[in-house]
Amino acid sequence: MNNPTNDGPIVRVHGVHKFFRRGSERLDVLNGVTLDVPEGEFLGLMGPSGSGKTTLLNLIAGLDKPSQGEVRVGDRLISAMSEGELAGWRTRHIGFIFQFYHLLPVLSAYENVELPLLLLPLSAAQRKQQATTALELVGLSDRVRHRPGQLSGGEQQRVGIARAIVTDPTLIVADEPTGDLDAHSAKEILDLLCELRQTLGKTILLVTHDPRAAERTNRLMHLDKGLLVEQRL
Amino acid sequence: MKYFKLIFRNIGRNPLRSLLTSLVTIVLVFVVTMVWSILWLLDIVTTEKSENFQAMVTERWSAPSHIPLSYAEVLGRGAARNPGDVRPLDSMTWQFYIGTLDPEDPSSKNMMFTIACDPDKIAAVKEGKFTTMMEGLESLADGQEDQLIADVAKLKDAPRGIIVGQNHLKITNKRIGERFKLTGVSITKGLDLEFEIVAAFPPGRYDTMAVFNREYFNNELDAYPRSHNGQKHPLADRSLNLMVLKVADSAAFTRLASQIEKSPELSDPAIRCETMASGLASMLEMFRDLIWGMRWMLAPACLATILLVIANAISISVRERRLELAVLKVLGFRPYQIMVLVLGESILLGAGAGLVSAALSYGVINWGMGGIAFSIGFFDRFMVPVDAFWWGPAVGGLAALLGSFLPAWTARSVKVAEVFSKVA
Repeated sequence: MNNPTNDGPIVRVHGVHKFFRRGSERLDVLNGVTLDVPEGEFLGLMGPSGSGKTTLLNLIAGLDKPSQGEVRVGDRLISAMSEGELAGWRTRHIGFIFQFYHLLPVLSAYENVELPLLLLPLSAAQRKQQATTALELVGLSDRVRHRPGQLSGGEQQRVGIARAIVTDPTLIVADEPTGDLDAHSAKEILDLLCELRQTLGKTILLVTHDPRAAERTNRLMHLDKGLLVEQRL
Repeated sequence: MKYFKLIFRNIGRNPLRSLLTSLVTIVLVFVVTMVWSILWLLDIVTTEKSENFQAMVTERWSAPSHIPLSYAEVLGRGAARNPGDVRPLDSMTWQFYIGTLDPEDPSSKNMMFTIACDPDKIAAVKEGKFTTMMEGLESLADGQEDQLIADVAKLKDAPRGIIVGQNHLKITNKRIGERFKLTGVSITKGLDLEFEIVAAFPPGRYDTMAVFNREYFNNELDAYPRSHNGQKHPLADRSLNLMVLKVADSAAFTRLASQIEKSPELSDPAIRCETMASGLASMLEMFRDLIWGMRWMLAPACLATILLVIANAISISVRERRLELAVLKVLGFRPYQIMVLVLGESILLGAGAGLVSAALSYGVINWGMGGIAFSIGFFDRFMVPVDAFWWGPAVGGLAALLGSFLPAWTARSVKVAEVFSKVA
């Protein structure tokens, strides 16, 4: 297991509560979660279904807001930002990897990777250079013109990873990235994530059910009934 | 522009749905274009102008109007009798001649409506400037003006010459230089005339009209008794249907109309003088309900249908792509950018279909059908104006914008956490 490259926390979650309302019923998902993630750490989050893993991930990625408490990423208090501010912030600071890849089927691998760059003030040449580099990093420089339907699950997830890193984000958030892959492809994806952390010093938050994926992380946290418990350092 | 590729690709996502939506839009914009083409011309001719406009003199108590040709000289000077009386800037006599190409089948497809007039009033060069007494010809391109001047010279040289509309070339199946015969019908029954086509009007307003030299018409009227046991033609003493006068402004028109209507030389039969726009509006008055229905019921109904069809297609598309829209939000697309993507897709589809429809209607109606056959007042056929090339995309695009606004709003409001919680 590799050690984090830096000790300073890049993610600070403090006293976060999150509840949802279903009719008159209140559903408490997170009950006072506090978490610090140092820069360059590969943190794993495990827990049973409905334990709040994805909810916590969404809060850290600025996709949802806590009912109570603070979420800070870098020097920004994202729990206090507006939806518009969060959108712009996500483009620059968050790379999201989904379980089911969620690539746009009408776009090629290259165009999918280029998509977040359209939101940044970059020239076409700069976009091309960054997207090509990202695809090279995930080993797909020969598949740039292929559409998602023409790629295997593992290849689609690599495109998803390239899309996540193309803006050089502060934090990579992965929600069960190997959940839809066979063992071989899953290993390749985990190797790739580890390599990204090592070579680019990326901070990665990984939600997983897969013990093999959990083994690859620096630190593993367990979430149960809305409470976070450190399982392994 | 950066998002154009994405917008364009999304349209191709479900080709059948996009095709069907486009087809419905094309058909409905086609109908709207036809309706607006008719209303466009009627609006132009019935809109009052404030200066340098035309007045029309017709018989007061009878329709169709028949006034003595001897009135022409008096009307040409505006019935001016005293120093200081207003005179028209120019004048033009209109004598109608209606004939059929086939006396055995005098149906509308063989019928031709023509005007006998002074060729110099069709087009002339005065003091180095192109002048015409025929509305709509004053805005020809330079090349077309020169051509018309040359055509009028040919008309003056050929005693039986006629300048025809583009549509007449089709229905007579003749070319310039060829001859044809018309058998008089209706008011000109018994008067058969032979013509030589010397030229055709530029495409547009006069596609269904033809003009020839009034000398030929009046000579034939004069000669009529020789072949009819000395009997004069019923039109002999009242062959002038209307007189067109050009006036400087509204004040000049008011005085001129008063001079003419009070002139003792023009009292039997009594005549009236009104602006051309007002005269045509009066003629169209009997079609008021029909025109109102076309303007305020048929066209809006088509627009509403386009709107609903596009709203339905885009709503389905947005519902199917909620997950993708949520992914775009995760990547950092702002709500307004999501909205722009959805609206852009819809507008591209609507405006594209509108443009295709406009091109189709222009080509099919003008070149294929020879205009919209819709007989109303003076007008027999209506051509689709070049303006349709912006009406089509504008109508399609605007209907698409309105129709997709609600679905686009729904798309911008997609809650990422909710969408992904359902996926999980």
